[in-house]
Amino acid sequence: MWQDLRDELHKQNFELVTVGLDTLGEQGCRTYIEAAAPQHPALIDQHHVLAEKFGVINIPSAIWINEQGVIVRPAEAAPAPPQPQTQQTPPPAADAPPMPERFVEMMGEAVKIKSDAEAYHAALRDWVKNGADSRFALSPDEVINRSRPRSADVSLGHAHFDLASALELAGAHAQAVPHFRKAHELVPDSWTFRRQAWSLEENPIPGPMQRFWQGPSPESPESWPYEGDWLSDVRKVGAENYSEPFKP
Amino acid sequence: MLFKSASVPVAEFEEKSGWTFKPEGACKGDVCIPLSADVLESETLELEAITEALGLPMLVDEKHGLYAAGPESIGARALVTADAPSLVLPDLDGQPFDLASLRGQKVMVYAWAPY
Repeated sequence: MWQDLRDELHKQNFELVTVGLDTLGEQGCRTYIEAAAPQHPALIDQHHVLAEKFGVINIPSAIWINEQGVIVRPAEAAPAPPQPQTQQTPPPAADAPPMPERFVEMMGEAVKIKSDAEAYHAALRDWVKNGADSRFALSPDEVINRSRPRSADVSLGHAHFDLASALELAGAHAQAVPHFRKAHELVPDSWTFRRQAWSLEENPIPGPMQRFWQGPSPESPESWPYEGDWLSDVRKVGAENYSEPFKP
Repeated sequence: MLFKSASVPVAEFEEKSGWTFKPEGACKGDVCIPLSADVLESETLELEAITEALGLPMLVDEKHGLYAAGPESIGARALVTADAPSLVLPDLDGQPFDLASLRGQKVMVYAWAPY
């Protein structure tokens, strides 16, 4: 999705580094990275260090770093450029099985999610061209002030998330869930902490959409171990508030 | 940040936590927290002691040998400095890539997820 814009800006001494956040690591990210065949570094963050080190709470989001290694914009929503028509998913075949109702409802909410893609990409081009003179390059103090709030509770929530992920990788899913739940309680603004945990629950959906179900299984809804799920949480905040607007 | 032992090499703690050990103490950005000389001269750190000294929460799962520490909250913000933290992550082939290798270029670090 980013390849064309990256290639345009790469000529002006710019590089894009994509980072896939997934407890399942390479196994979870491989299909998408291979399909994108990127020319830029495409990395895998199995332990969500971007959350800890940069304050990433949602995807897609991005951080801008200047030539000296100084952050000029902290983690913020980073809408992807529109996909070229040739790369868009083809419509389903006429004889394809109907989409489960939950996915229909999720897509209904997803289309309401607001994105300032044009403003964001214009700002990125402006910064790449003008550097420190760009009005979108923030001062160090502003960068710190705009980074996510972090209380002692939030910090403890990160520890619970790290432990949950490690337990999941150790095959101790049942032991991981209480720590994911605690992380959700202590870091309530992190969509990635929630979506990651939800995506690790089993459900009967076949294929690559399985991880996007992120809610109770229709066959045994009572076994869903979390307070929220993608559909109900997005509806609770309002899809239009899911992604924070671009703030120049 | 996750550790698999109760005592860890200083270099591992520095890389994962972003705190750098200097003669004046453990430092990040403009903040330095004084530490005793025996801690600063040691090649390994006891996690329980160093996390307490830096005010970092820590959770232990003894059964699985896992030690999870949270990041600092001293500045009440995710960033205590605008200097980009050290970031070394693997690519699809498991090859580590150091973000600092791109110094001299403008960089956008873009977070996505397959779920």
